Amino acid sequence: MTTPGSKGPAASKSDEQVQQTLYAKQEKIYPREVHGVFARLRAAGVLGLLGIYYITPWLRWDGHQAVLFDLPARKFHIFFITLWPQDFIYLAFLLIIAGLSLFFFTALAGRLWCGYACPQTVWTEAFLWIERKVEGDRMKQKKLDAMPMNARKLRIKATKQFLWIALAGWTGFTFVGYFTPIIELGQRLVMFSLGPWETFWVIFYGFATYGNAGWMREQVCMYMCPYARFQSAMFDRDTLIISYLPERGEPRGSRKRSADPQALGLGDCIDCTMCVQVCPTGIDIRDGLQYQCIACSACIDACDDVMGKMGYDKGLIKYTTQNAIEGKPSHILRPRIVIYALILLTIFSIFVYSFSQRTSLGLDVIRDRNRLYRETSEGLIENVYILKILNMDEAAHEYELGVRGVPGLQLRMDTDTIRVEAGEVMELPVSLQADEANLKVRSTAITFELMATDVPDLSVEEEARFLGPQ
Amino acid sequence: MADEQIPKKQIPKIHKCIAVLWPSFLTAVVATGLFFSAFDPDELFPFNETLEISPLGIYTIGFFIFWLITAVSGIGTLYFAITNCMQKNPDFRG
Repeated sequence: MTTPGSKGPAASKSDEQVQQTLYAKQEKIYPREVHGVFARLRAAGVLGLLGIYYITPWLRWDGHQAVLFDLPARKFHIFFITLWPQDFIYLAFLLIIAGLSLFFFTALAGRLWCGYACPQTVWTEAFLWIERKVEGDRMKQKKLDAMPMNARKLRIKATKQFLWIALAGWTGFTFVGYFTPIIELGQRLVMFSLGPWETFWVIFYGFATYGNAGWMREQVCMYMCPYARFQSAMFDRDTLIISYLPERGEPRGSRKRSADPQALGLGDCIDCTMCVQVCPTGIDIRDGLQYQCIACSACIDACDDVMGKMGYDKGLIKYTTQNAIEGKPSHILRPRIVIYALILLTIFSIFVYSFSQRTSLGLDVIRDRNRLYRETSEGLIENVYILKILNMDEAAHEYELGVRGVPGLQLRMDTDTIRVEAGEVMELPVSLQADEANLKVRSTAITFELMATDVPDLSVEEEARFLGPQ
Repeated sequence: MADEQIPKKQIPKIHKCIAVLWPSFLTAVVATGLFFSAFDPDELFPFNETLEISPLGIYTIGFFIFWLITAVSGIGTLYFAITNCMQKNPDFRG
């Protein structure tokens, strides 16, 4: 029995068939709405994550936007933390930690990320929800798409597109709100006076959301997602997967609710194809583990519902492990998990330690590019630098500047005191003078030392070169 | 079946576009982040005083330049992969 939407009983596929399905024009998938434990979990995940995304830029902290990646000022505000460009290393750390966490959770619980937390899943769910509210359930959508264009179809399609575009536009606006103060951005939006670049990003990000969640959907997972391709490398026989139990289900076949499957020689699978109809990627879980499966567990909910109606035990499709299917014991603690966990813990500890040791003082030394050196009237060799002093602290400080590296090196600058306000950058031109006799090579390494006068711990050193004639 | 009319020895255009544009997009994001955390546009482009492009504009242009460069590299990879395949397999149309 083949219902619309299912690809029929798939026997072992030859290369030819695989090629054909790979290169065939993609047919639209109409996932059936599903209710159940995992559907509720996913809805909670979707609502929670969307809530975080849309609400975060509106939060305030200490008189400023709580989370603001202020590009013009080159400062990232994340609640009480202010990050500067030189803190980019922490972002790299965070990315590594995120990547390792993905490895760890994939080995442990399979594609949890895909099914519950991936932005692609989250926004696709939101767009599907709008589609269902406007067009109706799966059968109504199919009928609508099959019928020729008329006033009713146009009205329904236009409503859906309007809502999709509105949500996508709001998503784009929120995205820009992470980089430009969102309240001002909103004021300029309602006055139609957004800057050209802001307008561009609202449209660009909105369009990407609209295209990916409205049209591309499961194809993003199948053709664009690198994780979908390599996640199987993290899998082992103890990884949590969603699987159909063929021993229990086969041979599949339809039967009356009152019939005794054993008498008919049938397994528990009634071949209702519900699991196929609810699948957002349009696969048949009964064919075994497939890379298209994003582990959304919609088929579990659908099958449990059917099993309940038939009066059979639930769990014909369920979260299980390869070992459990084969009747062997499953292990949570195993070398792979322990190694991933240890690496993750080590990197995380280094991150936390180095972040806690982060100094809130920065010093950049820029050589005057116009000339290498100058000879003063007293016969000394002079080099000119511009020092950039970054006070990344919450309070203003005065600093003492020193330099070492060449005997008798003299430091000259125009000011007596170096004072930098909180969160400010000061440019300080300085000149160094040295006796030519003390310069053994053409380029000598020197070190600038900067120390806050009120907090001796607050100090920083920066290397530079002193150039001479030899 | 409609499937049979589609040439099997050919990669669809859309897949080629994805293969070039998507990985290059991701690497361009990383490159833009790295580049602009190391260089302040104000120092990098003193001539900007006359052009007056906003910082967001500079970052945007920078991102697209990176995307262009990484996409060109992607096109090169795809081109060599396809032509190598064509040499070994005359049926393959790229």
